Amino acid sequence: MAQSRIGMAPASRGARKGLRLAAREERMAWLLLLPSVLLLLTVALFPLGRVFYSSFTDARFAAAGSQEVNFVGMRNYRELLSFTLRELPYQVDADGVRRYDHPRLFLRRLDTSMSYDEVVTFDLFGTRYVLGAVRPEFVRSVIDTVIFTVVTVSLETILGMIVALALAAKFFGRNAMRTAMLVPWAIITVVSARIWEWMFRSNRSGFFNSLLDRLGWGDGNTGFLTEPALQLPSIIAIDVWKTTPFMALLLLAGLSVIPKELYEAAEVDGASPIRRFFTITLPLVSPTLAVALVFRTLDALRVFDLFQVVFGERRFSMASFAQYTLVANRDVGLSSAASVVIFLIIFIFAIIYIRALKVDSGD
Amino acid sequence: MTRKQRRIIGQIGFYLLIGVIFVYLMFPFYWATISALKTENELIRTPATYFPIDLTLQNFMAVLSNERFLRGILNSLIVASTATVLSLLVGSFAGFSLGKMRFRGRSPSLYAILAMTMFPQVAVLAGLYAVIRILSMPSLVSLVLSYLVFTLPFTIWVLTAFFKGLPSSLLQAAQVDGATFMQTFWQVLLPLTAPALVTTGLLAFINAWNEYLFALTFTATDPDAQTVPVAIANLSGRVARQEPVGEIMAAALIVTVPLVVLVLVFQQRIVAGLTAGAVKG
Repeated sequence: MAQSRIGMAPASRGARKGLRLAAREERMAWLLLLPSVLLLLTVALFPLGRVFYSSFTDARFAAAGSQEVNFVGMRNYRELLSFTLRELPYQVDADGVRRYDHPRLFLRRLDTSMSYDEVVTFDLFGTRYVLGAVRPEFVRSVIDTVIFTVVTVSLETILGMIVALALAAKFFGRNAMRTAMLVPWAIITVVSARIWEWMFRSNRSGFFNSLLDRLGWGDGNTGFLTEPALQLPSIIAIDVWKTTPFMALLLLAGLSVIPKELYEAAEVDGASPIRRFFTITLPLVSPTLAVALVFRTLDALRVFDLFQVVFGERRFSMASFAQYTLVANRDVGLSSAASVVIFLIIFIFAIIYIRALKVDSGD
Repeated sequence: MTRKQRRIIGQIGFYLLIGVIFVYLMFPFYWATISALKTENELIRTPATYFPIDLTLQNFMAVLSNERFLRGILNSLIVASTATVLSLLVGSFAGFSLGKMRFRGRSPSLYAILAMTMFPQVAVLAGLYAVIRILSMPSLVSLVLSYLVFTLPFTIWVLTAFFKGLPSSLLQAAQVDGATFMQTFWQVLLPLTAPALVTTGLLAFINAWNEYLFALTFTATDPDAQTVPVAIANLSGRVARQEPVGEIMAAALIVTVPLVVLVLVFQQRIVAGLTAGAVKG
């Protein structure tokens, strides 16, 4: 049918009729697509274009909306993305102990046109470095989001694989377990954030503090959500709980198509369970794994709910920074620039993914 | 150790693992439930009690008489179901076109739709705000429209896969019988995809029910239009600085239980839909 349209000259009546039919089909196809295209133009493409445009302006939300908007070129991007990495100078005091300069004061004294603020100070190979940025919240939000993404996706993959392998076996209560697995997934993110917020409470009325206290670890007043060093691990724990079931479900679907005979044959050959996992299960489940990984990665990169509910303005993800800048600071220009940066990061990732997985092109 | 003994130990270990997984998955839900049933005094008691001592329904009653919360449920129902129905209607046309028809521009369209399912919502936030202002829409309408950003591409993608899976012979038979495209669509294909529509609709509904970024941003100046996630995130005490944890947990259960029941009823289809949406490579 396809060939009659493309290859042949319209010599016979039948071919001509086929051509007309094809043209009609094509018109019809576009007509059916039209509503979707129009809607998506309105809610996605046009707004995206506008965001892109306003990222080069100093637009703000004004009460009346009649305020002058100026084109500022790359200023918003420069403000967001400028950072500097410096060695922190020190003096050695009488006892031979290093006395480091105060990072914030050191950055302020720097002889540059930018005014940097401290993002993070860290030691590497015996030298102390300070990372400074014009917008430390944004740079920190990028670092935090990347750490969040890498750690949650890795943990979810490992735990999801363990859960999927366990549930792939036949055992009493398997259906109940598969059902239980859907529970964390079905709980809306804001709700699970608040439930965990409550469990992470910073005194012994919180579950974790009371448990740690009972085990004799910690003082029962650990501020899981307020101590900077514990904030990320805590929020990672929430996300892992919430999304491991999703990962497990996908992997379970992938596992179920592996033919049983392969395992039986391997068992007869005396292959150990670990060997069977690495030579049969992993290669055969890897296409599913790849898709699940990338979906989870893209999801994690755009995380908003968890950070906003749990940390509010204390700590940002990339998305919650952009939202905060827009709503609380009414800085449309800067927020738009942040959105464009986030969009580009995710878009590049999505393109690589579509290419790598060779999505059906219609043949 | 004999073979049999090893087998028994393996079995015990396996059930232990299953038990650990079960507790891990269910515990926060359990903790929310008992917290919702505790009295205010018991909630702040240290150390926390692992089983409630004085059971009370006080928290549930308080939250069910909280107008903002009830309003939130109603708003969420309206917004999520309208967005779902609209996506299914418009998306099934698109899915049919992309899944069953041949035309130039089909595969670029498919790519574009797939790329859109990965769209970061925050990227259009400021722009959508502007569109809403230009069209001067009421908040609830603006939420329905903005939810299409993620429900529509997802619906199209999954329905395209489902339509493609239907045998083309049906379509051709209908054509031979002289049916128009629309007749074929309404009378032959749509009834066959009813299960797919239910699954897709359910998933789109859950996503819309879950949505927080747009809801928070677009209802910032219109508290009457707040949806459930925003209402729960903002639930705070009558007394300043004291968080009504019991009520928050009760609210959490009230919005979760119907959804969990729904998910459990349709679990097989949901799993199929999730894997079709995500794994369809």
